[in-house]
Amino acid sequence: MKIEVCEVNKSFKQQQVLNQISLTIEGGRIFCLLGASGSGKTTLLRIMMGAIPADGGSVTVGGIAVPNRQLLAEMGYMPQNEALYEELSAWENLKFFAGLQRQSRKTFAADAEALLQIVDMAACKNKLIRDCSGGMKKRISLAVALIHKPKLLVLDEPTVGVDPVLRRKIWLYLRQLRNEGTTIVVTTHVMDEVTQCDDAALLRNGHIIARDTVKNLIAQTPDGNIEELFFIDNQSEAEAPLC
Amino acid sequence: MLSIVKRILGQMKNDKRSLGLLLFAPLLVLTLLFFILSDSSYVPKLAVNDMSEKFVAELENHATVSEETEKPEAADYLEANGIDALIWNDSEGTHIELLEKNSKSAAALEAIQDTNKALQPTKNELIIDYVYESSGDNQLDSLSFVFLGVISFFFVFILSGMSFVRERFGQTLERMLMTPIRRIDVIGGYTLGYGLLAAVQSVVIILYAVYVLQLQVEGSVALCTLVMILMAFSAVSVGALVSIFANNELQLVQFIPVIIIPQIFFSGLIPIDTIPFGLGNLCYLTPIYYGCTALEMIMIQGKGVVEIWPWLAGSVAFIGVLFLANVTALKKYRRL
Repeated sequence: MKIEVCEVNKSFKQQQVLNQISLTIEGGRIFCLLGASGSGKTTLLRIMMGAIPADGGSVTVGGIAVPNRQLLAEMGYMPQNEALYEELSAWENLKFFAGLQRQSRKTFAADAEALLQIVDMAACKNKLIRDCSGGMKKRISLAVALIHKPKLLVLDEPTVGVDPVLRRKIWLYLRQLRNEGTTIVVTTHVMDEVTQCDDAALLRNGHIIARDTVKNLIAQTPDGNIEELFFIDNQSEAEAPLC
Repeated sequence: MLSIVKRILGQMKNDKRSLGLLLFAPLLVLTLLFFILSDSSYVPKLAVNDMSEKFVAELENHATVSEETEKPEAADYLEANGIDALIWNDSEGTHIELLEKNSKSAAALEAIQDTNKALQPTKNELIIDYVYESSGDNQLDSLSFVFLGVISFFFVFILSGMSFVRERFGQTLERMLMTPIRRIDVIGGYTLGYGLLAAVQSVVIILYAVYVLQLQVEGSVALCTLVMILMAFSAVSVGALVSIFANNELQLVQFIPVIIIPQIFFSGLIPIDTIPFGLGNLCYLTPIYYGCTALEMIMIQGKGVVEIWPWLAGSVAFIGVLFLANVTALKKYRRL
């Protein structure tokens, strides 16, 4: 699903978080939104899904303007914090969100089982969330976002707190989903994860300062270190964020 | 909608302590009230000075009497000796000195009145009859409708308000609204889920009050239960609505005095038409008023559906208005 963001503005209490953002995300690719914390990544994601309204500009997903309820059925969203029900088990959380997505009850058990295998949580699917560690919650949260096989996957810092072995496994699965046609948008401030993505955009002080394929972006840097991207645009040093 | 109802029941099932508090805490409070307000058969302690022997002899049938040969002058005489009332005669007549207005001094006065009555039985004695009179002496009987209503409202309000605040705070609400669910289904599921729990609580409370505490119910117990359930549903809705104005759990707790205490004033504890400046009319804005008035009519006056339907309708209308308000308020989180 192609996402088109057109001249989007957003301010919170006088502070401009997003400034005339225009961005096109091609369908069937893994797109990475890079930026320091507080740079407006999450705000942009939420505007793209229609969770919050933009002050100006427009967003369309697959040609449909957000917010749209049919569109929400094709989206899977994983928020930055876990957003799970503490008193329910992993399995019950999955079941609840599958129910909201009107997943058929027949296929649910098999789907949920398969997903929990991928995030390595099958053994403790009946554990209550309040007894889970931070990393476990993160994995269950990812499984919840995937339960209805969305065509567009929006992941806000999906692998924070996940160990390297499992992180690799998750990226492998995300690329597999991409190959099946799913569009994936992730945010991160972990630079080495960018290399796992197809395209990337750099967000800084409410502006997009670079947007290209990850290969091209790396080619622009002097030593192939993606962190250098943040130093490309020297002029923006002047407009440090106001707090 | 059904998913949400199931989820709420599932959450409760896994959180045994909350469930226990919801079901048994009201019973504990009611039991305590039952004992506090029950007849304590207190025998007042009286002191007399220079009263006739006949009077003293009769008074001894009603109270513990100590005779003082000289009239005690010390200002703290009553307090220092643990005496409820001092009676003496002088040229002006009979004096009774009491410490302060409370249930002990009321008992002392009653003992003196009983003594007078026994000594001078008159033919044209005042005979007082109440139209609605409970047979027991327990004060809880005449105020039961207030406590039943307020207690169940209170517990349900906290439960639904808190869980809504937590849902917003933990961002599960946003996640829920990022699915194709309709807003009306969210509020519907919420109201129904917590409403069901609240209904179970209402049934437990009323059965306990009637069959264990033996509270007097003149009318139908089933009708009482219906009123309690309606009230519980409105408590769920009020809780959800208030949670919108609270940014965290603490603020919700701070809302309790604002939301609950004024409602207690309009629950029938104070006769509404004696409230000045027309403030009594505010009662129409409080769900507890509809519930408690209906409960009073059933429990004390023994009325049936025919007489109480306006209050039932008021309760239902209140739930409807709150429902729509909540559905609209959810727009804050998703415009669809």
